[in-house]
Amino acid sequence: MNHGTPSGDTRLRMSRLFPGGKSQKARATAVLFVLPAFTAYAVFVLAPLVMSLYYSTLRWDGIGKARFTGLANYVTVLTDPDLLSIIGNAFELVLYFTVIPVLLGLAVASAIRGHMAGTFGTLTRTILFLPQVIPLVAAGIAWSWMFASTGLVNQALTAVGLADWARGWLGDFDFALPAVGIIGAWVLLGLCTMLLVTGITKIDPSLYEAARLDGARPWHEFRYVTLPGLRQEIGVCITVTVISALASFDIVYIATGGGPGITTMVPGLEIYRLAFAHRQVGLASALAIVLMVLVLIAITPVQWYAREKK
Amino acid sequence: MRARLSIRLLFGVALPVTLLSGGALAAPSCGADPVVLNAYFETGFPLPTKLAEEFTRQFPNVTFDIKEDQFANLLENSPRTLSEDDAPDLIRLPTMSDLVANDLLANLDPYFTAFGWDKFPPSQLVQLRVEQGGRPRGSGSLYAMGINYSMTGVFYNKELAAKVGMAEPPKSLTELDAALAKAKEAGVQPIMQWNKATGGLAFPLQNLMGAYGAPEPINDWIFQKDGASIDTPDNLKAAQHLEGWIKAGYFPKDANAIEYFQMMSRFIGGEGLFMFNGDWESGNLDKQAAGKFGFFLMPSVEAGSRHAAMSAPLTFGIAAKAAHADCAAFFLNWVATNPDARKINVEVGGSNPGGPADMPIPAVTPGSVTEATLAAGQVLAKDNGAMDFIANATGAIFAAGWTPELQKMIGGQQTADGLLKAVQKEYETELSR
Amino acid sequence: MTAAKPKAWLARLLLALLMTVTLLPFLSMFTAALAPSGSYPNGLSWPDDPQWNNFVKAFEAANMGQLLLSSTLIVLGVVPISVLAATMAGYGLAKLTGGRNKWIYLVFVAGLTLPFEAVITPLYYEVRAFGLLNTRFAIILPLIGLYMPFSVYWMRAHFLNVPNDLTEAAQLDGATRWKEFWLVQVPLARPAIMSLTILLFLWTWNQFLLPVVLVRDPSLRTMAGALGAFQGQWGTDVPLLCAGSLLILAPTVLLFLVFQRHFVAALLQGSVKG
Repeated sequence: MNHGTPSGDTRLRMSRLFPGGKSQKARATAVLFVLPAFTAYAVFVLAPLVMSLYYSTLRWDGIGKARFTGLANYVTVLTDPDLLSIIGNAFELVLYFTVIPVLLGLAVASAIRGHMAGTFGTLTRTILFLPQVIPLVAAGIAWSWMFASTGLVNQALTAVGLADWARGWLGDFDFALPAVGIIGAWVLLGLCTMLLVTGITKIDPSLYEAARLDGARPWHEFRYVTLPGLRQEIGVCITVTVISALASFDIVYIATGGGPGITTMVPGLEIYRLAFAHRQVGLASALAIVLMVLVLIAITPVQWYAREKK
Repeated sequence: MRARLSIRLLFGVALPVTLLSGGALAAPSCGADPVVLNAYFETGFPLPTKLAEEFTRQFPNVTFDIKEDQFANLLENSPRTLSEDDAPDLIRLPTMSDLVANDLLANLDPYFTAFGWDKFPPSQLVQLRVEQGGRPRGSGSLYAMGINYSMTGVFYNKELAAKVGMAEPPKSLTELDAALAKAKEAGVQPIMQWNKATGGLAFPLQNLMGAYGAPEPINDWIFQKDGASIDTPDNLKAAQHLEGWIKAGYFPKDANAIEYFQMMSRFIGGEGLFMFNGDWESGNLDKQAAGKFGFFLMPSVEAGSRHAAMSAPLTFGIAAKAAHADCAAFFLNWVATNPDARKINVEVGGSNPGGPADMPIPAVTPGSVTEATLAAGQVLAKDNGAMDFIANATGAIFAAGWTPELQKMIGGQQTADGLLKAVQKEYETELSR
Repeated sequence: MTAAKPKAWLARLLLALLMTVTLLPFLSMFTAALAPSGSYPNGLSWPDDPQWNNFVKAFEAANMGQLLLSSTLIVLGVVPISVLAATMAGYGLAKLTGGRNKWIYLVFVAGLTLPFEAVITPLYYEVRAFGLLNTRFAIILPLIGLYMPFSVYWMRAHFLNVPNDLTEAAQLDGATRWKEFWLVQVPLARPAIMSLTILLFLWTWNQFLLPVVLVRDPSLRTMAGALGAFQGQWGTDVPLLCAGSLLILAPTVLLFLVFQRHFVAALLQGSVKG
């Protein structure tokens, strides 16, 4: 991840090698190389983004005439109690999507602290990566079944004598959102674990030796050697999981559709419903822009944390 | 679209068509060339597909390309689907007003004339009429047809009824309450009702509304008449009664996690004394467990007074952009008038097939649930107690109003009063858009 | 490693637990898939009379043959073009531009965290204006654009690590530069291209939002999008739904098992770089 230097280097050498007219030609070549990618990006990302900004200032049902309403839609997004609690749901999902995989991953990584070789290693990698390979929709269907009234979760609770705890998890006001969170945690767990297990092998073993010679207890070892050493990997885990929590759509769409009430409704699904079912394209677009900004705000400090390497 | 249609009406269709409804000289048809009707139906209800198969048998040049989706998805997808270029010729319509307001549905008035639908009882079609601009409903041009005319009430498990000592269907709300209490005492699940994805508690709620008050104000609200409100004293009593049932533990503890089809399989499996549902399940119940279930109309507060129940056409519309509008209309007319179609309709669908007033309702097995529901339909017609479904008031009222609020109510997070106020507010917000 | 014997034991236990949790949902789906169609089975119980036929039924109900074809066509439409465009752009941005033109790169990178939901509404109207709604192009073309931030970022990172001497040895005009790109750079970039191909394949195959919004006909969708429709149509029948879901996720899982090493490497690097 060493940005900047080589390209700066190249520029210097190039300007030395191609003075005047030739560097014009070189630039034209560069443009030709970048153009296809940029065109696709501009047409299908940048242009829609600009349109999203434009739509967000309209009151429009997607079919009839649109009216300009200024920032009214943003005011609605930031003041409507339902929409606010929908945004809140997304942040609550972060607790499950991010915290569980990172903590469990750290636990496993610091317990192994070494390469996972041999058949067991291959088996572990293969199994833990399965949820990354299947569509999120399939994860949603599998877990809807796990959480169903006659599903495995209730079956297990009944088996250990906790039948009182058995319930329709995805229809329960207190437990539906945590249940959705657990689906996300299940999907992301393997990825985070493997990232951290791989990351820890890159920490210089002499650091642990030194810590042990200093009489460090396991906790101190973890705190002063493992955590700083895994800074980048932890940053990656948090970034990936936070984005998938805030921008979740597939899992919620399949598992709960946002219910009961709006306890599991998330911005991604609400945007879809506002835009296409409730025909409030303007409000949907404002929510989309807000979501995009929220993701950026949530990710930026993590990036700083991960970059700060010393 | 309309121009093409009128030209075809003026010059007649290329091929002679035998029309069973009679009257019209040359009405729209499917022609003789191969036609693929693009259809969008509701999952889990085999009737339209069965009718389509029979239609293809009689008119081999017409085949159907059928897509199916669950009701909640249908509700969300229909505006988008209808606005696209290859919009379906035939579509199961959850609601109509918003779709008419956005010019997404074909106006069926020309077909009404061409096929002589004036011979159908006008009350059948009243819910399918919408004024220009989308409101109010209940008058104006015809924008959809019913494949059949269904009605809701209470199904009961005969075995469990005997177990709790319910000798005959309750004749008043008090008797119903007593049966519920006895079931609870006997350890029988009193009511099996779904409330996930869509708010199934709307069924008992509206039945209670009909028990406490007259159907007319509710219809006005559903038809979006000016000044109509769902938050009335009668409806409040109904909602409070429902709240009482919730608090008494008459609904399944996990109702918010039960989807419609789960409810069906659990009820058929013997779980639940009562189930609030519609006669579209009669055929299914007769087929899966003949003789095990019965049906009664929701009793009024006092025995012997007027019955009121949700009764609505199984609504099918034709997209304004449909490629084969004439053929689709011909199909809808055939469903109501062809004897074979009507027979399938009653056997599979279990509901009144509608159609011309003088056409007989096909015979059904004596003692079946279907027989009970068809008879109940006669009572309802006599009492003039039909109301449309409160979930059909606006395009989003079910998804954004009733469903979340009823889910909250059964979760103990919403009161009867709060429920009606929240739904009324959502309704007004939607109408002001 | 040697000093941490008791911990290694603990680690294995922990891992075994995680693996069990990972596998349970699949197992539960599998036993449910074998229950009689239309019944309401229990979470994890081997049926008395396993209905293997359910998989055949689901195969037909889901129209699997058509789905495989459709997903393959979409992947073939998206992945090669995306990889080619990104490799060219990554090379161009890493080796042929710099300084003043760095903004182009930054514009690409700005899209890295963009949730697809943020542009799905305008994409719908855009695709409709192009007349591509309900065609596979409605999925293919937008995905190429949406993948560019990551793909370009990925390939540029690779080319930054290629020593410059190599480039300079083959300096020259546009045509020669093009030749050099194909004959020298692309072969060297094979590992990076391989990983990118795997990632884009997975993301495309599993893409849900775009097909759900832009394509109504399940037989023109990706596997994941078709699974959504399958749930809409067969969600009423748990055994059939489970059987269908397992069939629909089988192709990627099989590919994954065969190319396990490459997939794991790609996913790990992919997330680090992303």
